[in-house]
Amino acid sequence: MNWLSLNVLVFSPLIMTLILLTPMFSGHHILIRRISKGFASLHFVYTLLFLVFFNNDLTLNYETSLKLFDFDWLNSLGITLSMGLDGISLLFVILSSFIILIATIASKGIIKSKQSLYYALIFIVETAILGVFCAQDMFEFFMFWELELIPMYFLIGLWGEESTAKKSAMKFLLYTFFGSLFMLCGFLMLYNFNFISTNELTANMNLIGFNYDNVPFYLQVFASILMLIGFAVKMPIIPLHTWLPDAHTDAPAPVSIILAGLLLKMGAYGIIRFNIQILPDAFLMMVPYLVVFAFINIVFASIVAYYQTDVKKIIAYSSISVMGIILLGLCSLNFVGISGAIFLMIAHAVISAGLFFIVGIIYRRTGTREILQLGGLAKVMPRLAGFTLVFIAASIGIPGLIVFVGEFLVFFGAFISTIWNTYLIQIISLLSITVLIFSACYALKLLHGVFYGNLLERWKKVNDILNHELVVLLTLSVVAVLFGIMPMTILNMIKLNVQNILMAFGG
Amino acid sequence: MNWLSDISSTMLTELFITLTVLILAVFSMFYNVKYNKVSKWIALCGIGVSLFALKYLQLEPIYYAFNDAILSDTFTVFIKGLILISSFLIVLLSKRNAKQRYHKTFQFYAILLTGVLASLFIVSANDFLTLTVALELLSFATYFLIAYKKGYLSKEASFKYLVTNAFSTAVYLMGVSYLYGITGSFNFSSINNYFLQHSPTLLYAISTIFITLGLFFKLALLPFANWILDVYEGCATSIIVFIATIPKIAMIAVLARLLAFSLSYSFELSLVILILSVLTAIWANILAIKQKNILRLLACSSSANAAYMVFTLTLVSVYNLSTVLFYLITYIFMNIGVFAAIIVLENSNYSSKLHEFKGFAYSNPLFTLAFSVCIFGLAGFPITAGFISKLYLFSAIVRSGAIFIPFLLILMLTIVVSCYYYTNVVKLMFEKNETNYNEIIHHNAYSPIVILYTCAFITIIIGICPATLIEICKYIAYNL
Repeated sequence: MNWLSLNVLVFSPLIMTLILLTPMFSGHHILIRRISKGFASLHFVYTLLFLVFFNNDLTLNYETSLKLFDFDWLNSLGITLSMGLDGISLLFVILSSFIILIATIASKGIIKSKQSLYYALIFIVETAILGVFCAQDMFEFFMFWELELIPMYFLIGLWGEESTAKKSAMKFLLYTFFGSLFMLCGFLMLYNFNFISTNELTANMNLIGFNYDNVPFYLQVFASILMLIGFAVKMPIIPLHTWLPDAHTDAPAPVSIILAGLLLKMGAYGIIRFNIQILPDAFLMMVPYLVVFAFINIVFASIVAYYQTDVKKIIAYSSISVMGIILLGLCSLNFVGISGAIFLMIAHAVISAGLFFIVGIIYRRTGTREILQLGGLAKVMPRLAGFTLVFIAASIGIPGLIVFVGEFLVFFGAFISTIWNTYLIQIISLLSITVLIFSACYALKLLHGVFYGNLLERWKKVNDILNHELVVLLTLSVVAVLFGIMPMTILNMIKLNVQNILMAFGG
Repeated sequence: MNWLSDISSTMLTELFITLTVLILAVFSMFYNVKYNKVSKWIALCGIGVSLFALKYLQLEPIYYAFNDAILSDTFTVFIKGLILISSFLIVLLSKRNAKQRYHKTFQFYAILLTGVLASLFIVSANDFLTLTVALELLSFATYFLIAYKKGYLSKEASFKYLVTNAFSTAVYLMGVSYLYGITGSFNFSSINNYFLQHSPTLLYAISTIFITLGLFFKLALLPFANWILDVYEGCATSIIVFIATIPKIAMIAVLARLLAFSLSYSFELSLVILILSVLTAIWANILAIKQKNILRLLACSSSANAAYMVFTLTLVSVYNLSTVLFYLITYIFMNIGVFAAIIVLENSNYSSKLHEFKGFAYSNPLFTLAFSVCIFGLAGFPITAGFISKLYLFSAIVRSGAIFIPFLLILMLTIVVSCYYYTNVVKLMFEKNETNYNEIIHHNAYSPIVILYTCAFITIIIGICPATLIEICKYIAYNL
């Protein structure tokens, strides 16, 4: 299948960036937006073609490597720009393309200035995210991981809240940069000790995962912790989470969608790829501690979310809570738990995209996100209230909607986990399930505070949703319902790969 | 006629630079102010001819000339080429600065090229005596260049430089005399041979530490780093480019040679350098956070980058040397790019205060893009050369042993700090500035803006396909 090229898939957004930055588009705001939307939809269709022709076996499909000017990129250091897809990464590639499409459609009306720069940066972010999900080489992974920082900084800083966005963007940048440098240190250790033991200079993730036994165990643990710090900042796991509420609050709605939908997933994806797949022994050792962190994530973030009055902050903290559940699923280290965690990532991306977009719609019309100043909007915005009900119901975990499947699988997986002889994870999963009542509390508080109760005089003339907003919300809710009813479509896609990952833990 | 062949195979570049200096000095006595333009062309031609003369120097086998006082091999020729290319760019950048003082441009370029000449001698020295003389020559040229600008600040900076340099030279000479006392020789090769046969003593450790500390002055590493902020603020911008690049290249080269051979038998020395360079990185990066002037900020960044390079250089291996060379080359280009941008601003009557950068992104998008590329290159973000060079440098540190990983983590934390202040510069350019609409006027000087765009372009190109340069660096490192 020569025309299905991963290089085209990953680098075409970058070319789109260059096209958008040429002076010929300056001033044509509508044209820029339409071209971007058109490109994003084409790209999404192209990624779907990968799904159609994907044959699901254990070997990687569509492996390619990019040759620049007749050199393998940094070949003398064993670093190549090689890309490949397996079931898990294909799932995330489709998700990325989908979320970027949603974000570009959602940008209409919210982004009013410097449009060509905005869409150009969005497409750089897309390249970076796709590169992370396709990377087969550690340093390539790291390069794409870092590539997304600067555009994201500007997307938050330039189009966000006038007063505080620059500060939040800087906080995001520094936190992530800090984490990623530690991650780099872990990568370099793996790369170097692999070289010492096998005398083969390579940074290929599969080869290094193949030879991990040769690295001394204490160094494995050290490298694993260093990499985990990088992923934990992105995910985020609780002591390293403080950038997230600020960045989410100050970013414009489409950027929040990308942040919650894709960037947080990169952290969890990294844990699957590196901590679990490459260094299984070290991960096994760290699991008891990670479970505690996951529990803190779930409990702490839910409670904090309940006491927030800013709608966006509520959703941001709920994201942290969901990432805790995902971490719990990854820690269960069995088929059900890990599949559930991956499924929950997809589910959370869809739901949080919807919720952030709804907040964006409300903010655009009323200029406020404080629950105390809103209320009764269902009277003037009945259609939006209906959609919000769907997303809120989904995020609480009502059966039949997408999140329920993920949460159920995660808790089930955690409960039947037989990795240790202690009952730690069972106890923690039970406690977490009880704590989930908080998620219902804050979600219903949000729904009630914004859409029901007394309608203030000044919101009487607020319009209901427009056509493009309807398209976005309808698509997202259809996805939420569809995969809530037929989760096996996604689970079948990742089945073999998850089993493959679990081989290192004895099936 | 042995000395003729010595000159022709080791010192041809130095010869041409010396001739240029003499021509400029002689012309400065006779020529009228209105011929000032000629001075720049003479300097450029001199550097060009010397670059061409590099081709005729002996590469292999190593040529020892003048009783082993001078040597020539691939490494020296490569470093000399780097020095000459950067001095070419500096001459192009210093048009406006040269005219500042009574239009004595001939003298300005003569002194500048004297500094270049001294650096070339430092690189090819194989003897502590030659090295000392060359270091002093470089220092004298730098005193004059710093004091060349009008005003009080430059005199203060020059005096500070002089006093600190005097002290560091004293320390350095003490170390050299100890080493002479132990081995009875000034020559690098004979000192190396002596310690191949005798075991090193405590006095050897002390003398090596003294020598290296003395050499740290020009790199602005910690015991002798206090001059750098004031000097960067005080002197003319093109002179800062000189101070930031040429002595740095020469010092890294001579440290590489010394640490690889005659000073390599002292464990204490490595420990001292490691600790000092980590301390310098912490000191410089923390100091940079609060700076309001971009020149002072770049002074801190220059000190920090020197610390990263010296740290890696201390863990002596061929691989490390190649990474340091790669880091040096990319750093030099990005640094010259940043300074070229500052000179463009100066030519349009902006000062170097950071708050004056507000709003450039909207009035001068292309300038902002090039400037940001260089700044982000220094910070080490991908698609720029800085990313590859940092990656490569860190890989060398990890490869040196697991024991250095805690040090590396400290260095990485300082890099996170540096990311803050570099991004801050770019952030300021994107801030709204409604009161006065910035507009860059290019005057007549096109060379700074061309150099800025070229450096930004090189930064990107090396960032995308670094393979060739890495191969070259490896080749050079294997030939030291």
